[in-house]
Amino acid sequence: MSEVAATPPATPTTAARTLALTGRLTLSEGAPLWAQLQRALADQTTTIDLTTVTHLDGGAAALLNATLQQARQSNHTIHILGASPDVQRLLDLYSCPPGVTCERPAPKEPTALADIGDSAYDVWQQCKAIFAFVGDVCAGLLRAFRRPRTIHFADLPALMEKAGADGLPIVAVINFLVGLILGLQGAIQLHRFGADPFLANLVGLSVVRELGPLMTAILVAGRTGAAYAAELGTMTVNEEVDALRTLGQDPQRFLVFPRVLALALVVPLLTAVADIVGCLGGLFIGMSYLEQPAIAYLQFLQSAVQPGDVLTGLLKSSAFAVLIGLVACQRGLSTRGGAAGVGASTTSAVVIVLFGLVGLDTLFTWVFSLLGW
Amino acid sequence: MTKVLTVRDLTIGWGGEPLLEEIAFDVERGEVFAILGGSGCGKSTLLRHLIGLARPMAGSVHLHGLGSPQQALEPPQFGVLFQSSALFGSMTLLQNIALPLSKWTDLPREAVEVVALARLQLVGLLPFAHHLPAEVSGGMKKRAGIARALALDSSLLFLDEPSAGLDPITASELDDLILTLSRNLGVTIVLVTHELASILRVADQCIVLDRAARGIIARGDPRDLRDRSPDPRVHAFFHRQSQRHDR
Ligand SMILES: Nc1ncnc2c1ncn2[C@@H]1O[C@H](COP(=O)(O)OP(=O)(O)OP(=O)(O)O)[C@@H](O)[C@H]1O
Ligand SMILES: [Mg+2]
Repeated sequence: MSEVAATPPATPTTAARTLALTGRLTLSEGAPLWAQLQRALADQTTTIDLTTVTHLDGGAAALLNATLQQARQSNHTIHILGASPDVQRLLDLYSCPPGVTCERPAPKEPTALADIGDSAYDVWQQCKAIFAFVGDVCAGLLRAFRRPRTIHFADLPALMEKAGADGLPIVAVINFLVGLILGLQGAIQLHRFGADPFLANLVGLSVVRELGPLMTAILVAGRTGAAYAAELGTMTVNEEVDALRTLGQDPQRFLVFPRVLALALVVPLLTAVADIVGCLGGLFIGMSYLEQPAIAYLQFLQSAVQPGDVLTGLLKSSAFAVLIGLVACQRGLSTRGGAAGVGASTTSAVVIVLFGLVGLDTLFTWVFSLLGW
Repeated sequence: MTKVLTVRDLTIGWGGEPLLEEIAFDVERGEVFAILGGSGCGKSTLLRHLIGLARPMAGSVHLHGLGSPQQALEPPQFGVLFQSSALFGSMTLLQNIALPLSKWTDLPREAVEVVALARLQLVGLLPFAHHLPAEVSGGMKKRAGIARALALDSSLLFLDEPSAGLDPITASELDDLILTLSRNLGVTIVLVTHELASILRVADQCIVLDRAARGIIARGDPRDLRDRSPDPRVHAFFHRQSQRHDR
């Protein structure tokens, strides 16, 4: 390819219905060659003269052969003339070997309608797969309870550190800001009615019952859920999960249980931190915007937020954690294809978890209100 | 003969730990140059340095007329087959091969497809043109990788274990292809392989690397080395003997 520029490109000397090519025919001069060949095809040329062709590379041979084949398909024959042994050898190399069908395969091009149908069916299949997976895990859990040592606990501390300690800064900062924003918006309204002391009720209850658990779960889903889906997805694509099975390690006990357990242990702790910093955000607004003394805010907080409120929040957060762990692992383990498949399953893990969190939260709120908690 | 590739005083390794030291060799235009040696001795690592994907700890790699390997990447002046094939998983085999063609030639779309399909036909994968890499076998991935390395008709090819995972017939067809490329088109081929039959059939020159010696322990025509090398390690390599009892 590099020495091409030194030699003149092939020039046509078209006699009647003969295309004579000369010089070096190479891929880097492929565009003019292809144009000539297509013109020759349209002109019903019968002969291509290669007598003065000194060099033919694979790409040019492919273009020549494709032209001959196109001609054959429209029932006219083009003869090749005067090819030197080297040139002929290349043409043979790129021609269809005898006894092989060299028909171009048709690409799979789905229509828009089929696409819509496929994706709707996919959503249904994914939901079914997740429920089946949850069932499997429950059954596996019973078996694992009988022989707890078969669970791969060795990874648990590292998994808890990655999901918990490493995630602490972002959980703290985001939830502080949530408390701050909520406090400010609430303080502006409450102040108009002279209801300043109720800031602690507003911020405390919202954060502890709803926003703390939910925001923390969303952050964990984005950080850790996505990481689990990508990690298990890559392992699946690389046949590492199959390898685990052949080594007598159940992927559920080796990969899924430690991850779900790590999240179930760590997310309530993160939520507790979120509750505290969220209330501190409110305190900051109370002290600065409403000029309340800190002790007053804390006293109102103490009387407004009951231990039951905190407990329902933490209960929710452990359910969220199990949801994140299960969905992320299921999506990861059902990855198909290569790198693109890993991307797709990571995306779908996060999307499904977000939907699931909102759904689960609604369910909890409804049940708690029925129970009067 | 003209030189295509010159390696001088090359020391390479991972994380500051040298793997091969003071490597020096030349590759001539149109020859098939084999890099041999036991598993883990650094053949693939050496190849990464030859194509400019890794920075040597010392020494230089020079591509004649092109400069350093990094300078020969845009447009790419050589084709590379990775040991793991390294096909793009989100593209079909056809798209994998069409990618460099549409980027670095001014061929119209249908001509790009013609050339890409011809490369696939060359390695016997025409029926699988629209399959994703995840949907074909390991040996088929390897062949598709070879087709992609050939895509731009480069005059220099680096192939890391092209015949690994192929049946003997396909492997011997691959040897034919390598010979045709080198004898008819003057393509220079740098080849890492373990297949003795293939080495003896296609390679003009070879170097034998050794992990313990951290360098080249033999060089020359592989048939001469097989018959006349005094070095017991080289003798063992070419005669498939275990050295365990000699040590
Ligand atoms: N990504 C990496 N990071 C650190 N060390 C590596 C890495 N890849 C390889 N090595 C080390 O470099 C050495 C040589 O590896 P290399 O892949 O070059 O071997 P090879 O000769 O190609 O072996 P094979 O014939 O099995 O492919 C190995 O022993 C390995 O320890
Ligand atoms: Mg290797």
